[in-house]
Amino acid sequence: MNINSIFNKSILLKCIFAGSLFILIFISTFLYKHSQSLVDTSKLLVHSHRVNLELEQLNSFLKDAEINQTSYFVSRDTVFLTAFNDSRKRVSESISTLQVLTQDNLKQQNNLDSLIRLIKIRYNILFENSINLNDSVQVSGKRFNQSLLEGKQVMQAIRNQINDMIQLENIYLLERQERYEHETFLTPMYSLLLLLFSLVVFVFSYYKINKDFESLKKSNHILKIATESMRHAEEIGGFSSWQWDLGSNTLTFSDNQYRLLGLEPNAFAPSIQSFAEFVHPEDKHILLNGENLALHEHTSSVAFFRVIRKDGNIRYLKSMGKILTDAAGNKILIGINNDITEEYLISKALEDRNKELEKSNKELASFNHVASHDLQEPLRKIQTFISRINEKEIHTLSEQGKDYLQRIQVSAKRMRVLIDDLLLFSRTNKVEKIFELTSLDHLLEQAMQELTQQIEETRAEISSDQLPIVEVIPFQIQQLFINLIANSLKYCKPGVTPVIAIKSTIVDSAEYSNLIKEKNRKYYKISLTDNGLGFEKQYEEAIFTLFYRLHNNSDYPGTGIGLAICKKIVENHEGYINAESEPGIGTTFSIFLPVK
Amino acid sequence: MVHAAAILLYISPKNIIFRQMKLYLKFDINAVCRKVLQEQLESLNLNYSILGFGEVEINNDPNSETIKALYQQLNEYGVSVVESHKSVLVQKIKDAIVEMVYSDEKLSNAKTSAYLADKIGQSYGYISNLFSDVTYTSIANFIILQKVERAKQLILTNELTITEIAWKLNYSSVAHFSNQFKSATGLTPSAFQRIIDKRKNAHLNKRA
Amino acid sequence: MQNEIIRVMLADDDEDDRLFFTEAFQEIKIKTTVTTLNNGIELMNYLNKEDAVLPHVLFLDLNMPGKTGLDCLREIKSIDRLKNIAIAIYSTSASDEDIEDTFVEGANVYIKKPHEFSTLKNVLSDVITLNWQYHTSGLNRDNFLLSI
Repeated sequence: MNINSIFNKSILLKCIFAGSLFILIFISTFLYKHSQSLVDTSKLLVHSHRVNLELEQLNSFLKDAEINQTSYFVSRDTVFLTAFNDSRKRVSESISTLQVLTQDNLKQQNNLDSLIRLIKIRYNILFENSINLNDSVQVSGKRFNQSLLEGKQVMQAIRNQINDMIQLENIYLLERQERYEHETFLTPMYSLLLLLFSLVVFVFSYYKINKDFESLKKSNHILKIATESMRHAEEIGGFSSWQWDLGSNTLTFSDNQYRLLGLEPNAFAPSIQSFAEFVHPEDKHILLNGENLALHEHTSSVAFFRVIRKDGNIRYLKSMGKILTDAAGNKILIGINNDITEEYLISKALEDRNKELEKSNKELASFNHVASHDLQEPLRKIQTFISRINEKEIHTLSEQGKDYLQRIQVSAKRMRVLIDDLLLFSRTNKVEKIFELTSLDHLLEQAMQELTQQIEETRAEISSDQLPIVEVIPFQIQQLFINLIANSLKYCKPGVTPVIAIKSTIVDSAEYSNLIKEKNRKYYKISLTDNGLGFEKQYEEAIFTLFYRLHNNSDYPGTGIGLAICKKIVENHEGYINAESEPGIGTTFSIFLPVK
Repeated sequence: MVHAAAILLYISPKNIIFRQMKLYLKFDINAVCRKVLQEQLESLNLNYSILGFGEVEINNDPNSETIKALYQQLNEYGVSVVESHKSVLVQKIKDAIVEMVYSDEKLSNAKTSAYLADKIGQSYGYISNLFSDVTYTSIANFIILQKVERAKQLILTNELTITEIAWKLNYSSVAHFSNQFKSATGLTPSAFQRIIDKRKNAHLNKRA
Repeated sequence: MQNEIIRVMLADDDEDDRLFFTEAFQEIKIKTTVTTLNNGIELMNYLNKEDAVLPHVLFLDLNMPGKTGLDCLREIKSIDRLKNIAIAIYSTSASDEDIEDTFVEGANVYIKKPHEFSTLKNVLSDVITLNWQYHTSGLNRDNFLLSI
């Protein structure tokens, strides 16, 4: 998604555009330069051809001059002389032309200079000859032949020179020909490249534009649907949405906001002030607060306030907002106002009821405590006075009297044990108790210390895994361990050494779904397994009931509060307890404490 | 013989604000008592010789007035003159027991009777009867009391664990130690430690 | 111990408990003088008198009207002259936490009022004897803690 978003950014698009433009210009410039160079090359080619041509012409003019000269010598006809002069003129013209043509080429210029010199020499010879000619005197045959030979030699030299020049020019020609051919080959390639590139850019642009257009159409469509369904949803759900542009400080509502205020849509121009008129006077500061926070610190939050409709009806609104930054960088606070009047009233009623219950609970607990405590006093005195009678006055009683006194004593004892346990039960509450992170190993150790006597008497063997460190009410968990271990010791198999194994593990609430109501929570499971009497499966839940007993008081003394206390302690910690047992084999108590 | 008692002494010098100095002191009771005796006896111009701990022979023959004055002055230091021979012996037994309990030497429990009989120079039967008559407690109980006291002191120092203390005091197991501690005081060693710690904290808070 | 008479004091608002207390001490072999007071205010008035003869051991009931035993305990522990009296809280059963709290406040002994007279005699006897040991054997009074 990230790549796409970068791709969609206008900046990248601009870069691509600039890049393409640059490349296009670059290629065009290159092509243009290339064309220029092609033109130059062809010009040079033509030039070389011309030079060659000129040189050939010169050659032929020189030959003409030669022939004319020779003809004149032979015929002494002045026609030939005129023709000769004519040729000479042409030669000079040609040389001038060549001079112009070879301006660009130093080498050729030098060659030309040499050529000119040679031609001059040749003409000097001719000049000499012409002097001789002006004489009507017969020229010495020898001198004449000599000058003809000289002339021939110079002519040869000239010819060679011209040939050299032609050769050189040919070399250039060849070079330039090659270059020309090369360039004519490349030109269409470059043109094609330019064409293709332009084509690609056009296709790409078209594709992009099309895509954007499509997606825009799609977004628009979705937006239309969303807005429509939002409008309906708002009416059904009793909420409205609003946007507050922090930059321009303009507020817009959805239609439902007006309905929430008991008005028709667009009944007034939306603004903070106009909205504030509906807000309950005591809650106006909440609105102001939110306004300030949003404007100055650009944060948003949840606010609760009341509005009063025109008809006096008070509605409770929950307003939630979130800051968003749009594509242009403006900060907009977008939020909803939720009419929670019904829920508020319900929850308030619930709260009141809770308070009542708490109060009543507290009264009950203190009643419980005081009753147990105050019941103890008279009972203690009864017992003490009975023991006094037993010591000092027993001899004055008849046998029946002694028996009655004995039974009074037994009942008083029973009552005392009951009250002690009730007192302990009533003290096992959560009120004003502090939860501390404690090592359960430590609490187990202390519990075993408290039971040292019973443990030694029964020679019990107690082994334990490493127990976790949990946030608990230390005294209560210690009591829990004491009660469970004492139980196991009390209900051991006669003649068998009690063995208690304590294990610890972590389980998921799903594994014990019929016991644990919570979902998706982890629990520490601490289990105490003994090898005692055990009991039948049908009693597994009942034993945790207050005052429930499985045995006679004469067989195993007890009040039936111990396990009820254990259950209460475990419930104080949001945990669970259960028992599994097999008669004659043993019992396992499992304690579940939530992992925080 | 040296009695060693550790006492917590809070000294707050007036020129240092917000500072408290805690000193752990060891008392050489021997030396202290000796010094007191010397001062008192000399103040009454008595010619004396100190025979041993708790035994002084007065060489002059002082009148009853002087003796009364001596008794009174000594009383102010908590020094009382022991009248009977029996009490002297009982005191010796007590001292012997204390020394035994506080020594770092490990005596097996069976040997205590022989040790005491040997130390006092009388038969164990005689010693134990005498002790019970005078103090209303048995020697065994007194030994337990002293051991528990020492355990309390060790717990106070916070340097040893309960297990280490049990071992140091020659108990066969931690359970045995806890048991005896609990029957003697009604509290488990850890409960005792907790209470002392809480007391210390409360005291510090008050002072702070 | 046989020479000195041990002074014992009890502050308890309950008439029957005072009766048990005094009768018990009458039957214990240890030589004692017993004084009883009816409530916290009487107790503090007595103790605060300049020439008051201070008891060796003070037994203090917790549940007294007006000034409770705990108030008295705190007050006594804050007065230099009185803070070295051995104090035994003498009360109906309380939770282990409450008992520990009274020790932290400075009590030396916590006695749960027994339900039988013979037990009461034994308990009182043990307390007096143990206190006497502390008194005569140079033991640290601060460590005198007993829960019966």
